[in-house]
Amino acid sequence: MNSSVAPAIEIDGLTKRFPGIMAVSGLNLDIYPGEIVGFLGPNGAGKTTTIRMLLGFLRPTAGVCRVLGGSPAGEPGLRRRIGYLPGDFRIDPAMSGAELFAWFGHLRGGVDRTRIRQLVDRFDLDPTRTFGTLSKGNRQKVGLVQAFMHDPEVLILDEPTSGVDPLVQREFLRLLRESTQRGAAVLFSTHILPEIERIASRVAIIRAGQLVTVSTVNVLLDRARHRLEFRFIRSVPHDLFNGIAGVVEAQVEDHTATVTIDGPEGPALRAAADAGVLRVSPVGDDLEDLFLSLYQEKPEH
Amino acid sequence: MVAILWQVIRRRRISLVWWCLGLVAFVVILAIAYPTVRDNSELDRTFAGLPPGVQTLLGLSAANTLTSPVGYLNSQYFANVLPLILLVFAIGLGAWAISGDEAAGTLELLLANPVSRIQVAIARAASLGLLLAILTAVAAAALVTLAPATGLNRGLPLERIVAATVACGFLALAFAAVAFAVGAALGKRSIAMASGATLAIAGYVIEGLAAQVKVLQPIRAASPWHWLIDSDPLRHGLLPESWLLPLAVSLILIALSTVLFARRDLR
Repeated sequence: MNSSVAPAIEIDGLTKRFPGIMAVSGLNLDIYPGEIVGFLGPNGAGKTTTIRMLLGFLRPTAGVCRVLGGSPAGEPGLRRRIGYLPGDFRIDPAMSGAELFAWFGHLRGGVDRTRIRQLVDRFDLDPTRTFGTLSKGNRQKVGLVQAFMHDPEVLILDEPTSGVDPLVQREFLRLLRESTQRGAAVLFSTHILPEIERIASRVAIIRAGQLVTVSTVNVLLDRARHRLEFRFIRSVPHDLFNGIAGVVEAQVEDHTATVTIDGPEGPALRAAADAGVLRVSPVGDDLEDLFLSLYQEKPEH
Repeated sequence: MVAILWQVIRRRRISLVWWCLGLVAFVVILAIAYPTVRDNSELDRTFAGLPPGVQTLLGLSAANTLTSPVGYLNSQYFANVLPLILLVFAIGLGAWAISGDEAAGTLELLLANPVSRIQVAIARAASLGLLLAILTAVAAAALVTLAPATGLNRGLPLERIVAATVACGFLALAFAAVAFAVGAALGKRSIAMASGATLAIAGYVIEGLAAQVKVLQPIRAASPWHWLIDSDPLRHGLLPESWLLPLAVSLILIALSTVLFARRDLR
């Protein structure tokens, strides 16, 4: 990352201990303007606790977190520049979306009405209906509109796409890209990898309160085991891939073989080529597997 | 801050109307029933047989028997029904103001906006005071309007009716402030509600027992119930102990708990 630009979110040794449980421990993560960081981890890993410290709802036991160079807990004015969507977005059931947008718009020092109308139209939301009468997906739309409506410099989104249909999800991802194009920094928590695989600049994986890894999706992909399916012109010996560098597992049956490879694919491809390969196709990148293994493995110390 | 206060009023306006209607309906019945009670001296003898503590609790005395306007209003309204209604209304609001909203998950969202916790707490406390003031004012207006029609103002200046109503409002404020403060300090709605309600009920019972039980007398000196009943605003008007004292206690509780609220973790 460009070191001349100050990070929009700085997390340094952030720790939160609740009675009897270490929710977050020694977290380090910087997020720069224009960047989307996927914050991944299983339920209960400490994602929401971290986010709630970033917004000043919880006081860190140790370490610091800064947003836009200040502390959101101590400087409420800073929150004008933050868009926040909680994991469990709820408002007064008797309040309509329009009322909420007007109220929060006022609290945030005035928000452009045309901007709100634009967002409402994009998400196809009826802002006159009271929150209590809306479906789960439509409630989430209200949450998304209020998070984006003031064009914040920092977006902190806790599982933003839970309960929304693919159309809304697509619109939301578009909106995210627009936000980062104008320089917003985004922290996007989720427990589903594919959701952010294509849009995240980096992913931070948290497990049991500790950061397991922070890297780009591409680096993760490089680290992931690959699985290839080969079809051959004729049937091949079942020990074709035995002793080939990088091959972790091979299932050979008659004309076909499914091979799991750790590292470069070259040696396996060469062996297959020599045996008369007809077609090679990837059987999905094993990112999901890597992700699961990162979820499960013990955090490094 | 005004926007946060206004939001509470908006949110509560329908429910406030219902509370006002209910209270006014009771005042109408109270006024209509008075001529019948006034003409029934049998009732005076029955109530004169009650223990002195109970009589004090009901605001009755030899000079102000049940059939007199002061005795009737005290025993049938100002010593029970009105405080009870105002207490239920105010304690519920006090417990909601911070901890109820927090439990509902909606306070956090408000605090994601550029407003400080202290601003939110002050705005919420002010909205509690404002809503309680409106309900109290409606109660006073209703009785002041109806009293002359049924002779309830015989020997009783109307401003004393206002004074007694306002004093009940301050009593409710004090216990609502307890609920508010516990909720703001701990973030637990159930404890907030329970502490406000329990103290209100305990204070009332102690006030009744203290006439006979000497040990209880120092305790009741710290009770808003004692400040109200002892100063008997229907006879003496609004003395500082029935408004300034509960107001001061409320403000201190709100201020202290706001400081704690600003420093703690949200739940």
